[in-house]
Amino acid sequence: MQKSENKSKLTKFLDAALSLKVTIVALAMLMVLVVACTLAQVDMGTNGAVNAYMRSFVVWWKPTGQNFSIPIFPGGTTVGFVLGVNLIASQLRGLARTWAKLGLWLVHIGLVLLVTAEFVSAALQVDARLAIEEGQTVSFVERPQEFELAILDTSDPKLDDVYGVPESLLKGGGTIAIPGTPLSLRVHAYFKNTELGRKAEGDPPTMATMGVGTGVTVKEAPPVTSDDEHNRPATFVEPLAAGKSYGTWLVSAAMGAPQAFVHEGHTYQLSMRPRREYLPYALTLKKFSHDVYPGTDIPKNFSSLVHLVDKPAGEERDVLIFMNQPLRYAGRTFYQASFGKGDTLSVLQVVENPGWLLPYISCALVTLGLLIHFAMGLRRAQRKRQRQAAAAQNA
Amino acid sequence: MKRIDDTSKNTKLARYLPWLAAGVALIGAVSGLFGSGQVRNMDVQRFAQLPVLEGGRVKPLDSIARNSLLVIRSQQSFRYNDRTVNADEWLLDVLFRPEVADDQPLFVINDPDVLGLIGIKQSAERYFSFKTLVPHVDEIQKQSEAAHPIDAKQRTRYQSAIVNLFERLYLYHRLKHTMQIAGSEGGLAQEIKDVAAPGADERQNALRELGLFRALPGVKVSDWRSVGEALRDARAGQPLDKGLAPMARVGDAWAKQDAPAFNAAVAEVLAMARPEELRAAKSELSFNLAQPFYSGMVVYVLALLILFVSWAYKPALLQPVAFAVLLVGVFIHTAGLTSRVILQGRPPVTNLYSSAVFVGWGAVVLGAILEWMYRKGFGTAVAAASGFASLIIAHHLAADGDTMEMMRAVLDSNFWLATHVVTITIGYSGTFLAGAIAIGWTIRKHVVKDPDPAAGKALVSMAYGIICFAVLFSFVGTVLGGIWADQSWGRFWGWDPKENGALLIVLWNAIILHARWGGYARDRGIMAMAIFGNIITSLSWFGVNMLGVGLHSYGFMDKAFWALVAFGSTQLLLIAFALLPRRFWHRGPGPIAPHAPAA
Repeated sequence: MQKSENKSKLTKFLDAALSLKVTIVALAMLMVLVVACTLAQVDMGTNGAVNAYMRSFVVWWKPTGQNFSIPIFPGGTTVGFVLGVNLIASQLRGLARTWAKLGLWLVHIGLVLLVTAEFVSAALQVDARLAIEEGQTVSFVERPQEFELAILDTSDPKLDDVYGVPESLLKGGGTIAIPGTPLSLRVHAYFKNTELGRKAEGDPPTMATMGVGTGVTVKEAPPVTSDDEHNRPATFVEPLAAGKSYGTWLVSAAMGAPQAFVHEGHTYQLSMRPRREYLPYALTLKKFSHDVYPGTDIPKNFSSLVHLVDKPAGEERDVLIFMNQPLRYAGRTFYQASFGKGDTLSVLQVVENPGWLLPYISCALVTLGLLIHFAMGLRRAQRKRQRQAAAAQNA
Repeated sequence: MKRIDDTSKNTKLARYLPWLAAGVALIGAVSGLFGSGQVRNMDVQRFAQLPVLEGGRVKPLDSIARNSLLVIRSQQSFRYNDRTVNADEWLLDVLFRPEVADDQPLFVINDPDVLGLIGIKQSAERYFSFKTLVPHVDEIQKQSEAAHPIDAKQRTRYQSAIVNLFERLYLYHRLKHTMQIAGSEGGLAQEIKDVAAPGADERQNALRELGLFRALPGVKVSDWRSVGEALRDARAGQPLDKGLAPMARVGDAWAKQDAPAFNAAVAEVLAMARPEELRAAKSELSFNLAQPFYSGMVVYVLALLILFVSWAYKPALLQPVAFAVLLVGVFIHTAGLTSRVILQGRPPVTNLYSSAVFVGWGAVVLGAILEWMYRKGFGTAVAAASGFASLIIAHHLAADGDTMEMMRAVLDSNFWLATHVVTITIGYSGTFLAGAIAIGWTIRKHVVKDPDPAAGKALVSMAYGIICFAVLFSFVGTVLGGIWADQSWGRFWGWDPKENGALLIVLWNAIILHARWGGYARDRGIMAMAIFGNIITSLSWFGVNMLGVGLHSYGFMDKAFWALVAFGSTQLLLIAFALLPRRFWHRGPGPIAPHAPAA
């Protein structure tokens, strides 16, 4: 008895979850979210709007002038999840496993893949960029939205040793040991975004005791939301070595030149820069081209001729990266994104997305499924009409 | 409704009338191709074949003439001194007889504040000559420069109007200084004589900077030279371009209105053109003359009118006639579309203008297929109405100049233009057509006295079939767009406004289909939802361009905002009508079919 009751509860739940009503309501909610997300892009920028509406469990609304937010609508993640469950449930329970339903099966499997792909890229996609000048060789990519505190040991003129302290560690504060050096860093403060100004009389005293920072005031600013702007993080750090302090330094992404101190004959430079990720291979920009249509300034094409050297893998070849034609190599994809410095600097967008192939498969499945399904429907309708016509004739 | 009644003595008439009507419509439509092309015995149209380089592509002078006049006056020809001046004649005047062109009422000004600025009260007169505007050019330039730094979306009506007026004046100014310094003694011939004279370099530089197009062909497209460049090169010691002297003779003969000399000089100039470029330019000229989308529009109206008449009078006779005329429209529309594809060497949809032409074409073809299958006249009605509406929209979108402009770098991909853009546009066609069918169903419900239930059912099943079709194409188109984005920007889906718009269409059509399958919406609900599809499609097609954000904002437009609002309101009204019970409109006897509540 107990068991069958449980079963009926489960059945009830499944029935509810797979009901077409849920599908329709969820689809309608998704439409509302998409509209809201589109309109919000005008003020919040694409990234901000997508994070608020699509890549969230709940959409929050903050009344103007208030400090609290109230949830007003399920977010894209929630709706996507409901749709996914609904889709799978209806697939397992409602849809007969017959050839007649083959089309719908394919469509729904394709859709599940598509939704999965969006979740995968939301979770795993990593965006970076690679700025490279003609003749230059680069073996790292930068993440323009993330920063790191770089400590460079410039003592060896041939090779710089670099130690990067990521934002997440700086945020935590405390003392951080720098591996491979006798140094450790005491973090006094860290700001995600700041505005720097020249220190004037009457300004509060600064934490900095050494370097440029002693003459600078730091004002904390709200983190940027638009895609075109970048944060300018700043931190106050105190390098410690062998029980000795080298003073408290202000290090900021807004500062041009790095600042340096010397410990036991080693010169260490401090700077805040976009977080770098080193590649096991190197790219050299041979030539950047920017073609326009003759007699106009309408761009026709941008392309970068790049020499790729991957010693461990034994690869060495020239690659032409141009619009709609990225380089896919070792899990990363390099796209022509931008340019500068009188057409000698090329900026490549670098994307790592393990799920990039899923939409392609999904597209093929859904297209095939819809074609099969509608073709069968059309044939049925045609037959029905023929039968009716025959019946009319007989009558 | 019956097919053609065989017992009637009108059998012969019924058989031949559709063919006759189609023939008349076709002849009327292509009549634009045949004309003397002469003005005062001068072969103006022959000169207009001349291939020149402008906007990155080689095109006939005729296209420059038409597009410039369209930008300046919003028309391709105008009345002056009791005769019609066409674009080609006008361009010759601007190039070689600017004193005549300066007197012609060219500049359309509607904004009362701009009129006030130049001291003119708003009246029926909307067109002003360059001569009238000359005393105010400095002030117009000053005002325009003040408004220019403001983002196009933030400008007030006056600011937009003044910037626009200045841009048109500047275009006119550039045209006048393309072949010779406007109003200079002796024109281009004198310029050639004085090529090495002191002070000529200043004039050559002015020509080089202002000249709108390059008229002197080169081996490669990038080798084409403008008159100013050729003169400067000659001054620098290079041999004089062979094309300059005949061009000067054309100008001289036009200035003197000497017909034999003009015709001889035009023949000389055309002989200098490279044969393949001249051939292409001639084809484009024929395309311009035929104006297929304009005649298509007229033919669609005709089909619609015949169909309206058929509902009141002799349906069996006139319905096939309406269908035949519609097919002529389809033929012209298709021919125009094909010519564009061949002329441009691109898939059919490359910008907002061509998307309107193509959306219309898709809807018309689908509608014609429906008519072929059902033969009830509805197919003709919705096809003709959507064809007409989309070509009207295209006509208004064409006012910005060359509709065959070059594709910006990321769009320069025939593969993706042919796959993603075409499929998604067919998806738009389908959604609009389903909406049009639903509107037809709604109107019929309220207007027709004793509706034939089978016909109503047929309309519903038509709409359902078309929605299925639209889901297929808009989904595939959207995903292909994602794949293109993955290829060019490194992400499959970026929630960009245009992508979101496409997604909304897919979602909405999916909702309609699921509502039908689940039995939550019956005929009435499905039809109301199909009409709402019109709103969603129009927003995704045009509305997102007005937001001005995202990577797809290539087709920014501000003027269409209120048109879009008006369209949306009419659709909402129609939805209300669709949901109202039948007797609301028509107080007739007879049972009212029970309707399921709409979802």
